[in-house]
Amino acid sequence: MPLIETHALTKQYPGVLALDALDINVEPGVIGLVGANGAGKSTLIKILLGLLPATRGAARVLDLDVAAEGRNIRERVGYMPEHDCLPPDLSATEFVAHLAEVSGLPRPAARERTAETLRHVGLFEERYREMGGYSTGMKQRVKLAQALVHDPRLIFLDEPTNGLDPAGREEMLDLVRRTGREFGIAVLMSSHLLGEIERVCDWLVVIDGGRLVRSGAVAEFTAGLGSLEVEVEGDAARLAEALTARGFEARGEGALAHVALNGAEPYDAIRDCIVDLGLGLVRLEQRRQSLEDIFRTGEPEAAARV
Amino acid sequence: MSERAAGSIYDLGYRRYEGRRLGRRDAVRSLYVHGLRAAFGLGRRTRSKIFPFMLAIVAAIPALGYLMAAAFIDIDISDVIRAEDYFSSTFFFPPAALMLFVAAVAPELLGRDQRHATLSLYFARALSRREYAAARYAAMATALLALTLGPQALLFIGNALVVDSFGGYFKDEWRQIGPIIGSSILISLFFAAIGMPIAAQSSRRAFATIGVIAPFLFFPTISVILVATLDNFAGRLGVFLNPFFVIDGFTYWFFDAVPDVGEGHPLLEADFAGGWYFFFALAVTVIGIGLLLRHYSRRSL
Repeated sequence: MPLIETHALTKQYPGVLALDALDINVEPGVIGLVGANGAGKSTLIKILLGLLPATRGAARVLDLDVAAEGRNIRERVGYMPEHDCLPPDLSATEFVAHLAEVSGLPRPAARERTAETLRHVGLFEERYREMGGYSTGMKQRVKLAQALVHDPRLIFLDEPTNGLDPAGREEMLDLVRRTGREFGIAVLMSSHLLGEIERVCDWLVVIDGGRLVRSGAVAEFTAGLGSLEVEVEGDAARLAEALTARGFEARGEGALAHVALNGAEPYDAIRDCIVDLGLGLVRLEQRRQSLEDIFRTGEPEAAARV
Repeated sequence: MSERAAGSIYDLGYRRYEGRRLGRRDAVRSLYVHGLRAAFGLGRRTRSKIFPFMLAIVAAIPALGYLMAAAFIDIDISDVIRAEDYFSSTFFFPPAALMLFVAAVAPELLGRDQRHATLSLYFARALSRREYAAARYAAMATALLALTLGPQALLFIGNALVVDSFGGYFKDEWRQIGPIIGSSILISLFFAAIGMPIAAQSSRRAFATIGVIAPFLFFPTISVILVATLDNFAGRLGVFLNPFFVIDGFTYWFFDAVPDVGEGHPLLEADFAGGWYFFFALAVTVIGIGLLLRHYSRRSL
């Protein structure tokens, strides 16, 4: 059963096309939703929650139709919005317990789950204090806790690391990872930082300007997409030309040539070409390809419309 | 063993919730109870409690004053304050307190969720927008009962205690209980239905409060002018513009009593049968609730 499925999902705001015929199909797991600010991430999450109606197209979450069964979806999911959403004059305990009750937990269970969940996200004695005095990190933890308190099957996290310092970011990512891996709750997490997604998620959905750029397993993105960095004494562009002639994907500039691996074995060819061209080999290094690299160097148009 | 126990206290890990899950009615009820507590600032800082409790006391001033007088002065002054006059302008405090209470509490109930963007957390749960609005409205109306039914109950019980025979008073006056409860409920529903749709328009408390008070101050003025100057049917209709005249109108109708107002009072000038005020208040209540629900079901997040 797919976790989230959309068909030609379109959202037209006055003057802005936020989502443009989006087709997504993802299985349960930890899913990263990546895109620049304004790419349509928040809009997509709100439509999937049934908070916003789609202009056209259809979407299913947990095999439930977003338009017709929004209430059933919302019963089974948790939502951590991007924006601040905590009343400053309540304590975390009161607030989360109240929301747990609104989610349908009986009062004693709501109290118990609140204590457990807040401890789980790393909020201890401070949970009895008014939230107005909380740091951004503590607020983000409360926001995560209220999304988890009713034990949903899927949580939507909209930019969960927003505004956090590096240490807080690290802890939040760790929490998200554990939520997905250890507790078996599916996660859809949006971020504009690929590095975060790469470390936490196992499936990646990239959108840009409301259109799907790519959807696939994170491993797929990085594996087979590595490259060799070849440093030579001489003109690397000539090396690249020679390698391209032999059927490899290579680019050269200055003293550095990049050869795509893509499952190919260019090592012998590189050696031969260097000998033929009379270049000196300085360094041969396999670069660990990160997602950032793919989207920085790869031509987005080529990857578009998968 | 003890080591393991200590370890498990440190990190119990995440546990699935296998317990009972209640339906949406319980969810709505918990939102309603939460709203009702918030209306009086319960579970909040002391500062949030001051205003609502103060107004509740202000609304009860005539009843309290009367009861104190009755307790210290040993004369039979029962029925000095008639139940049907309680919210008329005769005693000033109760209707003023009602207006201020709506103006203070309605923005608190609706504006907070907008101001702190908590609304999206409610709407992301299995709760429809209309249910949210209905729960908030119900909380406002119920909170108002403390200012309408509360003083009336105080007065009734006080009267019964002041006279020589408690049972005797009850026996003579039990017919008043129906109109007391009926008029109190309608006043509460009516005022909440005026205040809530207005308060929903702004997340800024100051604007919302001014917005709620405005029609209570503005329309009565027009109302008096219309009734006094236009000597025709349209002028007489002006009496309905004043929410205070409307509650007077249907309250006297509930009690089947003659308005105890001075000569030339618009209520007498307009001379509508009491039932008209009742139906008018009912219509305003239905329209007000409708507008509130519509506002929330259309609201973008």
